[in-house]
Amino acid sequence: MALALELTGIRKTFDGVVALDGAGFSAKPGEVHALLGENGAGKSSLMNIAAGFYVPDAGTVGVNGETVALSGPADARSRGIGMVHQHFKLVKPFTVAENILLANPRPAYRSGIQDIRDNVRKQAAQLGFDIDPERRVGDLSVAEQQQVEIIKVLIGGTRILILDEPTAVLTDAEAERLLEIVRRLARSGVAVVLVTHKLHEVKRHADAVTIMRSGRTVATPDPRVASTAELTELTVGQTAPLPSRAERRRGATRLNVGALRCARSDGQVMVANANFFVRAGEIYGLAGVSGNGQAELAEALIGARQPLSGEIWLEGPGDVAALPPAIRREAGLAAIPADRYAFALAGSLSVADNFTVATIKSGCYGPPWLIDRGAMRRDAAEAVTAYDVQGVRGVGQKAALLSGGNAQKLVIAREFSRQPTVVVAHSPSRGLDVRACAAVHERLLAARDRGAAVVLISEDLDEILALSDRIGVMTRGRIVAEFERPADRQEIGRAMVDHA
Amino acid sequence: MTEFLINWLANAPGTAAPYAFAALGLIISERSGVLNLTAEGLMLVGAVAGLGVSLTLGGHPLIALLAAMLAASLVSLLFAGLVVILRVNQVIAGLSIVFFCQGLTGLIGTLANWQNHPIVGLSKIAIWPLSEIPFVGRILFVQDPIVYLAIPIFFGVSLFLQKSMLGLKLRAVGENPAAADAAGLNVSLYRIGAIVAGSALVGLAGGYISVVSVKLWVTGMVGGRGWIAVALVVFARWAPWPALAGALLFGCIEGVVPRIAAAGIRVPQYLMLMTPYIATIAVMMWVGARNRGYLGEPGALGQPHVREERR
Amino acid sequence: MHDVAMIVRENPSSSPAPKPSPRRGIGRFTLDIRQTISPWKQAGILVGSLAIGLIISVAILDFAGIAPLDLARELAGVFNADSLRSVLVRAAPLILVGLGAGLAFRIGFWNLGLEGQMIFGGIAATAVSIYAIGPESTRLIIMGLAASLGGMFWVMLAYWMKERFRVNEIISTLLMNYIASYFLLHLLYGVWQDSKTAFPQSSQYQPFERLSDIGYGINGALLVALAAAAVAAWGVHLSRAGFYMRFISANPNMAKVVGVPARAISVAVIAISGVAAGLAGFVNVASQEGRLTQSFFDGYVFSGVLIAFLSRNDPIVVVIVGFLLAVLFVTGQTLQVFYQIPFTMVQLIEAIIVIAVASSEFLIRHRIRWTR
Repeated sequence: MALALELTGIRKTFDGVVALDGAGFSAKPGEVHALLGENGAGKSSLMNIAAGFYVPDAGTVGVNGETVALSGPADARSRGIGMVHQHFKLVKPFTVAENILLANPRPAYRSGIQDIRDNVRKQAAQLGFDIDPERRVGDLSVAEQQQVEIIKVLIGGTRILILDEPTAVLTDAEAERLLEIVRRLARSGVAVVLVTHKLHEVKRHADAVTIMRSGRTVATPDPRVASTAELTELTVGQTAPLPSRAERRRGATRLNVGALRCARSDGQVMVANANFFVRAGEIYGLAGVSGNGQAELAEALIGARQPLSGEIWLEGPGDVAALPPAIRREAGLAAIPADRYAFALAGSLSVADNFTVATIKSGCYGPPWLIDRGAMRRDAAEAVTAYDVQGVRGVGQKAALLSGGNAQKLVIAREFSRQPTVVVAHSPSRGLDVRACAAVHERLLAARDRGAAVVLISEDLDEILALSDRIGVMTRGRIVAEFERPADRQEIGRAMVDHA
Repeated sequence: MTEFLINWLANAPGTAAPYAFAALGLIISERSGVLNLTAEGLMLVGAVAGLGVSLTLGGHPLIALLAAMLAASLVSLLFAGLVVILRVNQVIAGLSIVFFCQGLTGLIGTLANWQNHPIVGLSKIAIWPLSEIPFVGRILFVQDPIVYLAIPIFFGVSLFLQKSMLGLKLRAVGENPAAADAAGLNVSLYRIGAIVAGSALVGLAGGYISVVSVKLWVTGMVGGRGWIAVALVVFARWAPWPALAGALLFGCIEGVVPRIAAAGIRVPQYLMLMTPYIATIAVMMWVGARNRGYLGEPGALGQPHVREERR
Repeated sequence: MHDVAMIVRENPSSSPAPKPSPRRGIGRFTLDIRQTISPWKQAGILVGSLAIGLIISVAILDFAGIAPLDLARELAGVFNADSLRSVLVRAAPLILVGLGAGLAFRIGFWNLGLEGQMIFGGIAATAVSIYAIGPESTRLIIMGLAASLGGMFWVMLAYWMKERFRVNEIISTLLMNYIASYFLLHLLYGVWQDSKTAFPQSSQYQPFERLSDIGYGINGALLVALAAAAVAAWGVHLSRAGFYMRFISANPNMAKVVGVPARAISVAVIAISGVAAGLAGFVNVASQEGRLTQSFFDGYVFSGVLIAFLSRNDPIVVVIVGFLLAVLFVTGQTLQVFYQIPFTMVQLIEAIIVIAVASSEFLIRHRIRWTR
């Protein structure tokens, strides 16, 4: 049987950084083939090449036994390769039908839309999705948008379906459903590539697995035979030790969120009524699938977004919800946002500038009329060493040049440069590899041990379970359940779904 | 009093036409995601080209108007090259083009000696017998041909945007170029096309001012109307028919001033001349107060597109 | 059913920084976003593009009837004592609008209302003169203060409209230029018209109300401009507020979260921008015509934009570029007188220069590779 998709010897560099170094991959029709690797391994880049989004520097792409040179995503789709990305390529103001028509053009609009509508209904029924082609994509839930993406590529005649981390935005239950549908698709002859980092998905749903590390393909074990430990070792090289935690000492309440209500930029209310509190010396983990208001809640806590109503009480200044963020910073709040370059770092400014901006107000770098650049550089250099920020040739270099993990270390270095009393961390290890992730977790635990109240908002349930003393579940803008450590994952999963 | 009203309203469409066409042209290019501030400059280009061709050919107003559209489209290629290919900041590029056009048209107008030479231009046509209807007849059915053409043009563009494949693709490019790119569209080509096509209409607006309204050329005769058209696009939320309505509103406002003076009422002349600009700002304030959130702009307006650009 | 340890992390949506993705540009070459560029290369590209812009301009002038050799002669002629004096006088308001534009652009506020602010600056200063406010010895200073307030008032109006009603300042400040110029005409044809002439201009200022030569051909206007530039340079490079400003323009969301007093600094900077433009109006009328006229402000918006853009909003470079632009203007005037080239030619050259330099940014930000 010819291989549906075959990639050999793929090399790809981005402006001097090698992302793929001779990687290979092959998938047979009718199988679910997982592409497993930690972040930065190159999985997405490799698949983007397969789907026509990138052009490889070297290597070949083969479809159904024939070598091709893809000129773009449309070319790839015409050969039957369709990819569903992590960030959906959907036009929110358009309807489902219009989006699908855009990707699968017909000669005329009126007849084309009608044709697409019928097709969508058929496909959706076949897959077991409930999608109304006339609804605006912007009004759909994240899971439904993903379904639209899948229908979009299938209508185009996709026989090689690539899914990039599809379950990242789904609850456990939704993920199960999706992966079962994917397996059914495979049985009908489609070759499915499942890019994932979740071992349990590989063990449960994959017929084959290719493991990538640092831009290379390292192994293709049989997932049904290999043990979890073996797979882990192949993926990371060695297991990272669990961070140690000190005995928890309960302190006074440092942060209290009461009846908080926040809206998104387009006006939709995302946080309906959030209530929780965090004490000194504990980590409160807020679990939940993304899209349930976590981002808006995090932004409200750090001061990037004005809540519609409710209170954010901090020990010291009191209710700071309506006050400027500077007051929270003075009270000792540290912010580690999810999107570093949105709220935490100014990419075009230097490492030294980014480090010192938080503390310059105290006057340690000179009076307001004359800043002491030398002292700033010295302190920044010290912090870079202390927090093991790699890739810094000089503290004057632009912050945008740091890789994800190191940028995060810089943020933490800055935020922890004065002992914080409250830490708000939103998806702090998103985009980081194992080592960087372990470093971040260490720092969070250290802050907790020193008496800070830490709020950890994360979509990664494993991270929450590993770090939190108490866990809250956020669904549809509300905290619907709370658990004490040690918490049962099944119960948490149920809490996420029951209230959906 | 009725005579005053009829005169005023009958002249409104003619005054509104430049605003309407310019706004429509801007809407087409902005729907593709390009922030277009070049209207003032391109209208000048259209005005000088239209009048120059008319003077050279000794008449032929319709050919002159076509020349105006062509000239503006040609100059817009420079703008398109700057913002689409070279990814220059769209505000700087827009302002530079306006200033470039101001300099260029002033230069050409003077060197070619086209200033202050009147032409016959285009006159109003009465659609008989509808024009005989009392009151309404003179307002609606005695206009120059370009005003009549506006209706089918607006229909055409509106249908194009909402109900055609090309329009769908154009709107996708403006809302989410990454999605359009993934769907196989050449974002750059669509944007260049939208700019050039839209600029033809902007050139028509300018040509209208010199060939039909004033019937001569003076340096800088567009006098800020291009900027008002830019504001109109925001007011119309990037949709054709509200833009037409807004243009008519402005036609009425602009027409009031000279009519009041002609009626013999003494008004401070220069303070009255301020009214269109004050009105524009007032309208923008009203729009902003009304829409607390999203103004209705295309999702990717003003952002240059490089496939998956990071930071 | 969960993983044994914290092993692999999610694939990010915003992945590690040095990984921008290139793809098709036009045809068979690809666009890469540069990660680093040496300052020498950057300067080289800038100078190169400037040269190209100037070459194009010289070509156009040649086409319009001025041979390059004659042009060179005129340019050299600017550097004699008399012309140099008028260059320095012309430079003063240019430097001030350049500062005004540059400071506002630095924090992301497109203050294009420089002409309107100049007008109100001039109006305020003239009001002081007409109503004889203050003793003779300090009249000039009061005029300067009034002009500052006038310019500040006009720009803060636009700022208020932006904050309260989300009115885009590009459109509002530009339209306000027209409103201001009509208001000026209203005054000049009306109550402030000089009864001795039929022209739209105010009565002549008294001698002590004028900015004149201090010595060595240096005009008081230039001193005002240089003082303003010095203050701006200190503010931008040495003060804590200047440090904060860089964050406000680089990442305003982050600035807010990190505790930078963004609102306060923005208001202050925009107000100062208006002050600078108002002063530009004042020095212009006080040093050149000596009375309020109807077109003293013509073309200053784009000149300000050009100066700010070429000097990358740096107050020190603004002085140099302002001086060079003044040379261009004085040369242009000579061309107008002796070769009948309309002054719109200078506008055209300004635009060409900005377009040339703006285009070169592309080479600075991107690297082009040819692929097979």
